[in-house]
Amino acid sequence: MVPVKDRIIKVTFNADVHASLHWNFRPQQTEIYVVPGETALAFYKAKNPTDKSVIGISTYNVVPFEAGQYFNKIQCFCFEEQRLNPQEEVDMPVFFFIDPEFAEDPKMAKVDVITLSYTFFEAKEGHKLPVPGYN
Amino acid sequence: MSTAMNFGTKSFQPRPPDKGSFPLDHFGECKAFKEKFMKCLRDNNFENTLCRKESKEYLECRMERQLMAQESLGKLGFRDLMDEESETKKNS
Repeated sequence: MVPVKDRIIKVTFNADVHASLHWNFRPQQTEIYVVPGETALAFYKAKNPTDKSVIGISTYNVVPFEAGQYFNKIQCFCFEEQRLNPQEEVDMPVFFFIDPEFAEDPKMAKVDVITLSYTFFEAKEGHKLPVPGYN
Repeated sequence: MSTAMNFGTKSFQPRPPDKGSFPLDHFGECKAFKEKFMKCLRDNNFENTLCRKESKEYLECRMERQLMAQESLGKLGFRDLMDEESETKKNS
């Protein structure tokens, strides 16, 4: 994979929690500048301020919609249950890259900003969440 | 942010990550490497290209502590940094 060094994209980060999940969840950087074809690392942080262990599970969204197909996550913290003990705070990394073909797509020519949003839900037994790979 | 409202027929299909989920670093074993990476970003206008050495070191930390599956760093996009490193070793 060869980086397309002259095509700089700003990736911005959002974080959300579903109302019933009382975690503090936020990105550790508001933005990062990447180029297609180059792997990149970014961090979120999550804290469970309650006095009970809580299990969360997250999904993500990419805008603009058409850029989502080029957004490749190598590894992250999504789609699997994550348990935070009482008062625990952890770093949550996302390791990703934007496919070099992004730079070849005329529909992407005016796209300079891609926004990645993660939303955490509480994982409850018997609940089925609409996330891929969750069972 | 409210839940996604889909006015069109297309909806965003989230895909699971290629290599699955990072185990949580409950004991903050790699926190120092994360801090080094974040400082690099802050010092370099958040340009990822200038902080790849730091991101590689963070991932190496995880691999050494079973917080990430072992993977060749070349396959994780760090081939150029590995080549640089072996060049330096050869010349020293």
